[in-house]
Amino acid sequence: MKLRNPSFARSGYYLLVLVLALASGEQATLADGKPIRIGIATALQLQVGRDTIDAAQLAIDEINAAGGVLGRKLEFVAADETEVPETGINAIKKLTTSDKVDVLVGGYTSGVTLAQLPHISAAKTLYLGIGAASPAITAKVKQDYENYKYIFRVNPLNSKWLATFLVDYLVNLVAKEQGFKKIAIVGESSKWVQDLVPVLKGGVRDSGVDVTLTELFDVNTSDFSPLFSKVRASGAQYLVVALSHASSDVFVKQWSDAQVPLPIGGIDVKSQDGDFFTRVGGKALSETTQIGFMRVPLSPVTVPFWDAFVKRFGRKPVYTAGGAYDAIKVYAASVTRAKTTQADAVIKELEKTDMPVTSGRLVFDENHDVKYGPGFVMPMMVQWQQNGERAVVWPKDKATGKFILPLWIKK
Amino acid sequence: MPRWTRWGLLALGLIVLGTAPSWIDDSYWIGVLILGYLYGVFASSWDFMSGQTGRENFGHAMFVGGGAYTAAFLNTKYGVSPWWSLPAGGGVAVVIGLVIGLPTLRLRGPYFALATLAGATILQRLTIILWEQTGGEEGISDLMPLVGSPVAFYYLALGFMLVVATILVLLARSPWGLLLRSIRGDEAAAQAAGVNTTLHKIGALLVSAFFAGMGGAFYAHYQLQVGPTLFSITVSITVVIMSYVGGIGSVYGALGGAFVLTLMTEQLRRVGEYRLLFYTLVLIAILFFLPRGLIAPLWRRLRNGGPAS
Amino acid sequence: MVIEIVIYAAVSSAIYAMLAVGFTLIFGVARVLNLSHGTFYALGAYFTYTYNGLLKLPLFVAALLAIATVAAFGVAIERVMVRPLRHSGLAVLMITLAMSLLIEQVLFLTFGSETQNVPSLVSDKVTVFDVDISGQRLLAFGVSVVLISGLWLFIQRTRLGNAILAVSQDAEGAQYMGININRVFASVMGLSAALAAAAGVLAAPFSKVEPGMGLLPMTKAFSIVILGGLGSIRGSLLAAIVLGFSETLVGYLISSSLTELVSLVVILLVLILRPAGLFGKHVAF
Repeated sequence: MKLRNPSFARSGYYLLVLVLALASGEQATLADGKPIRIGIATALQLQVGRDTIDAAQLAIDEINAAGGVLGRKLEFVAADETEVPETGINAIKKLTTSDKVDVLVGGYTSGVTLAQLPHISAAKTLYLGIGAASPAITAKVKQDYENYKYIFRVNPLNSKWLATFLVDYLVNLVAKEQGFKKIAIVGESSKWVQDLVPVLKGGVRDSGVDVTLTELFDVNTSDFSPLFSKVRASGAQYLVVALSHASSDVFVKQWSDAQVPLPIGGIDVKSQDGDFFTRVGGKALSETTQIGFMRVPLSPVTVPFWDAFVKRFGRKPVYTAGGAYDAIKVYAASVTRAKTTQADAVIKELEKTDMPVTSGRLVFDENHDVKYGPGFVMPMMVQWQQNGERAVVWPKDKATGKFILPLWIKK
Repeated sequence: MPRWTRWGLLALGLIVLGTAPSWIDDSYWIGVLILGYLYGVFASSWDFMSGQTGRENFGHAMFVGGGAYTAAFLNTKYGVSPWWSLPAGGGVAVVIGLVIGLPTLRLRGPYFALATLAGATILQRLTIILWEQTGGEEGISDLMPLVGSPVAFYYLALGFMLVVATILVLLARSPWGLLLRSIRGDEAAAQAAGVNTTLHKIGALLVSAFFAGMGGAFYAHYQLQVGPTLFSITVSITVVIMSYVGGIGSVYGALGGAFVLTLMTEQLRRVGEYRLLFYTLVLIAILFFLPRGLIAPLWRRLRNGGPAS
Repeated sequence: MVIEIVIYAAVSSAIYAMLAVGFTLIFGVARVLNLSHGTFYALGAYFTYTYNGLLKLPLFVAALLAIATVAAFGVAIERVMVRPLRHSGLAVLMITLAMSLLIEQVLFLTFGSETQNVPSLVSDKVTVFDVDISGQRLLAFGVSVVLISGLWLFIQRTRLGNAILAVSQDAEGAQYMGININRVFASVMGLSAALAAAAGVLAAPFSKVEPGMGLLPMTKAFSIVILGGLGSIRGSLLAAIVLGFSETLVGYLISSSLTELVSLVVILLVLILRPAGLFGKHVAF
């Protein structure tokens, strides 16, 4: 074969090599059965994802140092589920079919988890959710037990409970104590907020608090001036926020720069980051946010975990860290009791869980969801103070500081 | 090299793929191949229109996403069987193609390209803005699968791709295809020769849209979920790159391009976040060094292997 | 409320105008649709963050340096990526699009997907006509007006500016007159990139600084340029005002989630009804 164009032939040769290389592919190395494999699906690019991985590593190292589970060591494989459902599905598929994990741990965006559920069910693999809050995730457990018994939520409390707690804060601290009886509710249009808002509104209305405006905006919004303007025009005195994926950084900066005459508070996940205050140049002063765990003794496990995490990784953990740590400990305990990693047996033991975790005392309800209430798991409201630290301002019996107003609002 | 050899190679390849579920026991890779086939449908449908007529569509994702969301609505809100989604998805994509194509294909210059870019972005924004109906960023979940097992899905996808590819290649080889390519060559001359270029461009776009929409619906009933990323520029660009790798205008080349690139990015999964970077580097490299692509020229090479070529 | 809308709209329009003018300049002069224009905007913001936040240079210096860096980068792209492919309009579209994706990925890999914080040059709140507005936004408005006027003067009064004008009217003719086309193209690219970067620098303190931040401004620049007419600076300015006001009105009166849709719908409508835009040279059918 006479080749007129040698460089072209070269590219053809490369192509052939390429195709052969691809065809040899990556046959999965089967787990040889010895270590127990944990698959972690989380948004690796974000703080919540990094903390998930690090906390999981911490838990695994502690368990392995104590001899492992049933004499077997624990190991984990991570997959990036991002905040996009499609990538999330691929992550689950990879973990269950290619990496053949024994249990899945993770989650952050509720929409992603919801999209993953059918695939998790098809793979008949246990899933311990540690970051997504929509009640819809665990709703299927009771409705379709046979297919969805694999789903558990270890963390956080679902949005319904988060809303219930927020109502308590708004009615008692914001309205009764501070005198702000008119509130506006704004949030991103994600699923967990959609689940939260009706409960919130219903709850406060019964106690004489007036909701003057409710608006959900799309997650990509970056200019909030029209929103602030509407809020002010509605006569509200306090601005309740529900933010997780949206740009809290920009929201808070714009709120502070324009000195909007309303204090803000609610659930702001990004504000739960230890470095949020410095990230926004201190403009988060006086913002209140709900938080699932902080360095307070919610249970005997909380402070030791917090300190160990800070010592090893040099930063403060966010809520998914506690969740990941707890999930692995809970799983290990259940497997130990079940004396096998076989899903059905472990499920039976998981359902009997009653143990201290970083956020309190974990017991699963009939939907395999975290039980809410005093003595079980309850969140707190924390507020950014002058020194860049957070103080717990609600509930009163756990308070570590005084509630403050934004600098430009005089009472 | 005798003429039949390249067909022999092709037949061998088909046999290998056709029996894949038997010798690949890792269902993850079966899934990857399925994705490759679906992208083959997207890429070849793109190439049929843009490769042949030279009017580049930068928003092919609008057909894919349009078909997928149609499937999602019909299935989750009205309980329609997934099999109806396929033609329905194709139909909706055709409508989208009409809306975008009719006003802009009569113009010369970059207007069609810009309009398609805008079209896909508008649809993406709409799915987020109308989040109450479309589920917003998190999309619609819980679609019913077309068939039960991964193996069944595999053969269905393979069959789907082969049927679509055959139809498109036959159309491209037909007198109509010749007409379309004349538009790429010199539109003014074609018009002067009496060809109603606008009509044919629109026709090609609608064919392209139909198959891409069907593919989108298929994809929806495989992933069991749809979201705004289906309308993203990433999808549109991926399809274009696959066609470039395959050789613009050949239609069958796009299949090869889709196959190669899908497998390649899976191998790169370890450095997963670098995937898009890799894609764009490939595109840039091809634009500069291999403007005719890789697959189609290779195929032709094999045919012309004799010394007198 | 009305005054508030007017002020916010003016600020938006000014920033959009900076983006649009640069974009239309390149098209008018070099017949290049630079789809990586949005990334210049993003790079302006990110370089400011790097120089100020990471290298700890004073904010003002960082801002100027960022603009200069991006301008140089724009010139480099023109030379290396665009010039060799200038024979095919579509190849240029493809390569600029590819460049924009490439840069976005590099930003993502370097800085992560989370928002970065760029401090404001002016921190105080200002009250204008009873409306509270952040000082930074007013600064953005003021600087935009100055820069665009400066550009206008530059084109009308200087030799290079006149050369640019000549090339935009007739590239071949200008060459016959001895004008160095390549130099003109390079300068136009540099100017255009500088304007986009300046917009990014000014808007960074109150916008989302993340790798994909250039996409939406890019579509808006598009929208404005198509509405105003490809190649017409006057058209771009007018269209920028129209878009700025429409968006703000929609945001305040209807819903803030629809603002992004305005620019996209404008593109489609103009392309369907009057592709030449308001002042554009008319389009061949």
